[in-house]
Amino acid sequence: MLCQNCGKYEATTHVKRIVNGEAAEAHLCSDCAKMLGYEDVFGGFGNIFGSFLGSFLGDTGVERLSARTLQCEKCGSTFNDIVESGKIGCAKCYETFYEKLLPSLQRIHGKTRHEGKIPNKIAVNGDSKKMQIEKLEEELKAAVDAQNYETAATLRDRIKELKEGGKNE
Amino acid sequence: MSKWYIGAGEQNDIVISTRIRFARNIADYPFPCKLNTKSRTELNGKIRDAVQNDNKFGLSFVEMKTLAGFEAASMAERHIISPEFASDAGGRAMLISPDEDICIMLCEEDHIRLQVMRPGFALDEAFSVANEIDDFLNSKFDFAFDSRIGYLTQCPTNLGTGMRASVMLHLPCLTMNGAITRLISTVSKLGLTIRGAFGEGSEAVGDMYQLSNQITLGISEKAAIENLKSITLQLCAQERAAREEMIKSLDTEDAIFRAYGLLKWSKLISTDELMKNLSLVRLGSVSGKLPVPLKTVNELMISLQPATINAKAGQKLTPRERDFERAKEVRESLA
Ligand SMILES: [Zn+2]
Ligand SMILES: [Zn+2]
Repeated sequence: MLCQNCGKYEATTHVKRIVNGEAAEAHLCSDCAKMLGYEDVFGGFGNIFGSFLGSFLGDTGVERLSARTLQCEKCGSTFNDIVESGKIGCAKCYETFYEKLLPSLQRIHGKTRHEGKIPNKIAVNGDSKKMQIEKLEEELKAAVDAQNYETAATLRDRIKELKEGGKNE
Repeated sequence: MSKWYIGAGEQNDIVISTRIRFARNIADYPFPCKLNTKSRTELNGKIRDAVQNDNKFGLSFVEMKTLAGFEAASMAERHIISPEFASDAGGRAMLISPDEDICIMLCEEDHIRLQVMRPGFALDEAFSVANEIDDFLNSKFDFAFDSRIGYLTQCPTNLGTGMRASVMLHLPCLTMNGAITRLISTVSKLGLTIRGAFGEGSEAVGDMYQLSNQITLGISEKAAIENLKSITLQLCAQERAAREEMIKSLDTEDAIFRAYGLLKWSKLISTDELMKNLSLVRLGSVSGKLPVPLKTVNELMISLQPATINAKAGQKLTPRERDFERAKEVRESLA
């Protein structure tokens, strides 16, 4: 089996972890295992997401320092808390650490922009309806430019709903 | 005992069941990792009240602390809840339908983990039910959502749609001929993961696999489901081709009949032995070699896991006692 991180070398380190509430195994080559902090398989079953972040932060010591001071005003998480636990504390954390999280999101999903369902009732980090409509209109424009008509149609419906809902209130 | 899994369903010679899961969080509440047991319990109560007030899906509310350990473990064995959810009852509850085909885990990794199961290959149907329940929940609560990165989840691996779609597949011939190893690495390059559906390790007990979408951000629910569908159908075609070839051999036929004999006459059967032989009996059943209905095989596979035997007995049995009960039930079912 090839390494799940680099896809280049034979996986020699097998790490158990919980993904989506289910036990799963990560298969890594020795280099990637070392890079992600799994040098000794029995030394601790860390969290692979946290390790992804850790390896990004490790690139620049300066980043690590400044990251320590920034704190989520809602739940109190620092970026280092997130790196260590591999867990995001609350919705506000995503807003607070958005830029810092992007490289990891890119690495995990290969993309950083949501496609698909949009909730009927939106209360996004305290955004007003007007802001929400503006955001959606921006998305709609992007979707049309990308010739992503299915998404565009969904967005158009949402915008219409939000605008109509606004009149009734 | 739930009945969704012994039903027939599309592609049931290979696809046992279909599952859709949505991860959702209520806006304005920190994620479960930042909630203590008391706040979790309060939040669960709020969700319970909102749902039961207008209970069109007939869901019952169960606090996990009211279940015995083996009852929770049995639900995990039957894939109704996650093993992680079963492992810790603190501040956790579920809303569950009488058939156990709909289960909403509360304060698992996210506030809401909605799960819909269907027998056979039924991704569209399961998705549409899950989507309807999601809309219903959303009419009661605002969900944590960001228009750039979608539904917000405690672990960024679920961000975006928060959706995991999966199918449980029986792939005995691709396992026997070794092709599965190559297929696993191919599938992972296509944004899907495949792992054993039973047990903890990477080995697929009873040749049962769980195939799911891996990526949730930047791909719509519909696209993820279409991708899963097309790869499932390709795996099914390959498994059928391998079956057609292998079933001609006397060795395969001998293995099927030996497995049948072993299950039919044993007095003690371990879980591993059951799963290994049931895989061959299932192959014998779908290929018409054995007079065993598929329904019986599916039921034995799910109802004779260790905690489920304990749950049926209403107490924690010793492994030997379970092996005895397991063998007894198998003999009676195949008689
Ligand atoms: Zn590697
Ligand atoms: Zn926070």
